[in-house]
Amino acid sequence: MAAELLRESFEIQGRNYDKAGEVSGEIKVILRDLGIEAASLRRLVIVAFEAEMNVVMYARRGTLTLILTEEDVNLEVRDEGPGIPDIELAFKEGYSTASDEMRELGFGFGMGLPNMKKNSDELKVESEVGKGTLVVAKIRLNSNA
Amino acid sequence: MRELKHGFKIDADKCNGRMNCMRACPTHSIRVKNGKARLIPELCIDCGSCLGVCPTGAISATTITFAELDRFKFKVAVASPALFTQFGMKDTPAQVGLALLDLGFDAVWEYAVDIELIDRAIMDCVKTWPGPFPLISNSCPVIVRLIQVAYPSMVEQLIPVEAPREIAGRELKRRYSQELGLKPEEIAAIYITPCQAKTISILQPAEEAKSYLDGAVGISQVYNDILSKMRRITSIGDTPKGLMSSGELLHWGPPEGEFPKLSREHYLPLTGLTDVIKVFDDIEKGKIRNIEFLECHACQGGCIGGNLTVENLYVARSKNLHLRANMPKPGSSFEKEVERRYAVEDFSLRGSVKPRRIEGEVVDLRERVTRRKRADELSRALPLLNCGLCGAPTCKNHAEDVAAGRAEIGDCVFLSLHRIDILRTFYKK
Ligand SMILES: Nc1ncnc2c1ncn2[C@@H]1O[C@H](COP(=O)(O)OP(=O)(O)O)[C@@H](O)[C@H]1O
Ligand code: SF4
Ligand SMILES: [Mg+2]
Repeated sequence: MAAELLRESFEIQGRNYDKAGEVSGEIKVILRDLGIEAASLRRLVIVAFEAEMNVVMYARRGTLTLILTEEDVNLEVRDEGPGIPDIELAFKEGYSTASDEMRELGFGFGMGLPNMKKNSDELKVESEVGKGTLVVAKIRLNSNA
Repeated sequence: MRELKHGFKIDADKCNGRMNCMRACPTHSIRVKNGKARLIPELCIDCGSCLGVCPTGAISATTITFAELDRFKFKVAVASPALFTQFGMKDTPAQVGLALLDLGFDAVWEYAVDIELIDRAIMDCVKTWPGPFPLISNSCPVIVRLIQVAYPSMVEQLIPVEAPREIAGRELKRRYSQELGLKPEEIAAIYITPCQAKTISILQPAEEAKSYLDGAVGISQVYNDILSKMRRITSIGDTPKGLMSSGELLHWGPPEGEFPKLSREHYLPLTGLTDVIKVFDDIEKGKIRNIEFLECHACQGGCIGGNLTVENLYVARSKNLHLRANMPKPGSSFEKEVERRYAVEDFSLRGSVKPRRIEGEVVDLRERVTRRKRADELSRALPLLNCGLCGAPTCKNHAEDVAAGRAEIGDCVFLSLHRIDILRTFYKK
């Protein structure tokens, strides 16, 4: 793995819909100001936002860690929550256990994990029911211009 | 990198360093050092927020003067629909058009046709667009530049269709060069503009193609002249060129937005930079679904709120509604012309819009990260008061400037008390 250039962690509060999306907003600004090229930035923000939303919707609390190397951007999202009993099922397009209330807020289309997969170069989900979930995503940088 | 042109200039002699511009700038592109304002060109999006707030009038819009038009043999005005909302309730677009002729233009273009054409082209583009959605209108140059600077990941969502003013320029040159036997470069296509941003979009289009227009004249620049000439025109029949019909100058569709026919289920009209930024933040996260097209205008209320307009937004809006309700609909010739042109013209954008390269990117990623870390450390020593006395709009900006080697950390008065005495020399009465 290429040398780490930057590592920053952000707290995510579960059930706090008011603040939902702020962490992905913050990391977007960091990476944009660092001049990360547009295509990678776009994919990254989508992955970060969906991961953040899943913590907000399903978990008590979580942490998003951003790790930048010269070759890629990595996101590690770790939460304390119910965990995912069947990860394969969770990745099915349209599969969602979101409540009606969440859906009314405009979340819970069951596209979060599929979109994260589509927009990252590597995506790994580990989960332990009753304890929590770890999502690790890697997005390669096209150039370091 | 080619030099970036901007739609206004800061007159250093007139500048008193009062920092109103620096505080108003949404992209933090202004610094005030030694009592004088200056621009970081890469960050400026030409919104003109600085223009109206300068207490000494040191910032002015760059538009062209009439003298500059003398080199053309035939001068055609393309009037922004906003122009017609600036006068009295009884003044029709046709009268305003006649006043423009009286002012020295040889013709006034039937701009409503071009607006209708682009309206259609947008609808067609939205229908066949594979994604990503929503598409975003590009007719407001500030929106295009905002995306280039602050939302680089969204450039591909800017709709790849020409702005109506551009295709107006193209068609009028074609028509008049044919009718009058002139070369296209002997014909001037001049936009009567509600803002300096459109001037700059002509001088230096974001899509890096050459504009079909030759310059822009601000509405406020011609307002008084039009007013006095219009009062002298008694009836439309008076003039030999009086063939103009109001409906061909001003589009008669619903008032919100520039594109009258786009259905409201498909699109969302958005005005005002603050609101646009909120929505863009959501788009970037993939949070906005089911919307196919966003028509965005940097000015509150759209172009009738542009900073080179004269009438206040609300009066202009009521004038607009009144005009549209009472204007005769254009005749069958209008529809025919739209059909004819739609069949033969290509409306796709020439060139493409790319993210703007910001100054810091001349160094490699490792160095950029180092600067960021350094800026973070530096900002811990700053009071986070954003007083502006260092010459940067926020403490964070100051820390970044220092990390990039553009400023001295000691410019902060909290770190070097004697700075106050230096500042006193610039700000003493
Ligand atoms: N961090 C998480 N903790 C617990 N369950 C999760 C987590 N992330 C996803 N899930 C489960 O996976 C399902 C699918 O997730 P996703 O694809 O993001 O769609 P959505 O969030 O719209 O339901 C969720 O409905 C939920 O049951
Ligand atoms: S909204 Fe219209 S007037 Fe305002 S900056 Fe954009 S194009 Fe110019
Ligand atoms: Mg989800």
